[in-house]
Amino acid sequence: MPGLFDYLERAVTGPILTQKDFQMKILIPNVRRIVKEFDIAYDPAVPVPGDNALADRLFEAAIEFLALTGLYCEGTNRIIQFDDQEIRKGLRDYKKAGTFGEGRDRSVLTPRKPEDTKKPWCHLGNGIVASSDEIAMALVEGFASIPQAKSVTIPAPDTVRGLPIMGGSPLELYGVISSIESARKALWRAGRPGLAILNLCPAATTAAGTIAGCHPSTGARPSDGWLIDYLAEMTIDFSNLNKLAFITYMGGNVGSTDLPILGGYAGGAPGTALVMASYQIAGCVFMKGDYHLSGPVEMNLGCSSTRAALWVYSVVGRAISRNTNYCVLANQYAMGGPATKTYFYEATAELLAVVTSGFAGFESCHPARGIVKDGITPTEPQFNADLADAIAKSGMQADSACELCNRLLEKYEAEIKMAPPEIQGKTYSQLYDIKTHKRFEEYDRLYDEVVEELIQMGIPLS
Amino acid sequence: MNKQEILEQLAKAVVEGDKNSARENAQAAVDEGLDPLEAVDRGLSKGMAVVGANFESGESFLPELLMAADSFNAAMEILNPLIEANKQKISKLGTALLATVKGDMHNIGKNIVATVLETNGFEVVDIGIDQSTLNIIEAAQKHKADFIGLSSVMTTTMPYQKEVIETLSEMGLREKFFVLVGGGPVTQKWADEIGADGYGDTAVDAVGVAKKLLEKKG
Repeated sequence: MPGLFDYLERAVTGPILTQKDFQMKILIPNVRRIVKEFDIAYDPAVPVPGDNALADRLFEAAIEFLALTGLYCEGTNRIIQFDDQEIRKGLRDYKKAGTFGEGRDRSVLTPRKPEDTKKPWCHLGNGIVASSDEIAMALVEGFASIPQAKSVTIPAPDTVRGLPIMGGSPLELYGVISSIESARKALWRAGRPGLAILNLCPAATTAAGTIAGCHPSTGARPSDGWLIDYLAEMTIDFSNLNKLAFITYMGGNVGSTDLPILGGYAGGAPGTALVMASYQIAGCVFMKGDYHLSGPVEMNLGCSSTRAALWVYSVVGRAISRNTNYCVLANQYAMGGPATKTYFYEATAELLAVVTSGFAGFESCHPARGIVKDGITPTEPQFNADLADAIAKSGMQADSACELCNRLLEKYEAEIKMAPPEIQGKTYSQLYDIKTHKRFEEYDRLYDEVVEELIQMGIPLS
Repeated sequence: MNKQEILEQLAKAVVEGDKNSARENAQAAVDEGLDPLEAVDRGLSKGMAVVGANFESGESFLPELLMAADSFNAAMEILNPLIEANKQKISKLGTALLATVKGDMHNIGKNIVATVLETNGFEVVDIGIDQSTLNIIEAAQKHKADFIGLSSVMTTTMPYQKEVIETLSEMGLREKFFVLVGGGPVTQKWADEIGADGYGDTAVDAVGVAKKLLEKKG
């Protein structure tokens, strides 16, 4: 079975071609042909299909696609190629479960199956930009204080000592180091010092930034998790391969991650599902990942709560969880921000699709597409955790989730396309007392109201 | 085929992203003595307009747009020599210089904007990813760009968008170029903060902003 070095060798010996030729002559034709050949068909009326035959076809299609397409290495302009048999063997041999965190906060991430009643892994918080160390620490403390949290995502600062962090500069290294130091302090304050951080390193643009953040004195530990990105689509660069080589060498948890663009190079929902499933398979076989973070993002909206995106989550979640043991966490984005009803509708729809289709876990849904500074509070991750537990516990089937999603889509589908400015919601300091870390009454009222509304719809929140 | 049929076939070849048909019909246009500019305006460009509209409405996606552009370009390889020989010129709305800023390796957003701008009649010079501020400014001057489009997909590379604008001012060149910014974490608020001339939430938005700025310029 090839190891990382074998694949790195392929990155320097594989077929050479321009990126445009890779996209136009290999990627796009392969997506179009394989989607047709395996009959990967999207029905907008059924955003959460419980179709196991479709899921299994998608899985086989993704193996064929990965074997025929490979991964384009930007650093060498060559294709890292994979063989059908080695992909299958890599998936068969993948038995390990990821272990994250330390001491009493240590947890083991194991797979789930579609309609599983086992609780999904709650990876809480988002790597948004925080405007100050005080807010970043308040957020991490808040995320870690949520009882279901098995791991957290920490925010990224945008300045160090008043200077903007510029990728590739020494300021990036300082930013990375200070963000991890602060997060670890916040985890101590929450009484969960061993809790794993799974988005290392959020302020790092370069491999040098990531490697700097790995020094033990920053508070980073091999039991945390490092994200190694694919680039859209089916592409990887030297910066990410450098990170992969280093994290593999130091024995840290590797988190393969992708964010396929729905409407981008892979086309619509079927093509996007195909590349997303292929990324997950490659994460298991090529990166030998300990976990995978994955979700589609709609090209023109920047969120993953659209009808087509829900379908992509559902079919990919079902395809991978039925056919592999690789643990995938769903990466989700809402158009609505904190303290908007839209956020809660979108997050609910996404989790209905994710939990019932067999994802091992999820990162709590990013409010306001993750682009608003301080645009998150602990309330949204807490809601995600409570809801995911409740969906799993209820043993909800795909057809019920589908019906609920259709009703939720009626509430938000038109609004997210219009995206009025107020949809971005509010920031932490507008919704929480920064000194006491307590939520203001205004948000209490909206939260209670929206939860009641969801319960009335039949969402199993108590 | 008569003239009208050739023009229709050229448009159809672009809509269907059929490179071979685009080439064959471009050759037919030359053989039949059609004005090459007419073949572009009333054939190929008509097809691009259909594909562009479908892309904007969400009926088709990036692959269809790219394949249409590829077919358009294949036909242009045959028509261009004739256009040049006739000393004719294809009118362009303006020239856009596109780059992903320093330290940022992401290109999909920029590539989409490039394709949508091209399909809307702009000349596009795409200098790629990880481009330093001075490289960007030098290229904009060299290509006599009307716009500089800066993509940044990471919060830690957004400051380089600001650096380009500040450096243009320092060099006394700010008034020569419109600067448009975009990318996943980029917002209108950020664009306003750094003094950009425009911001596009999507590629289609960016084109609309570019057209409005040109109209203002007159």
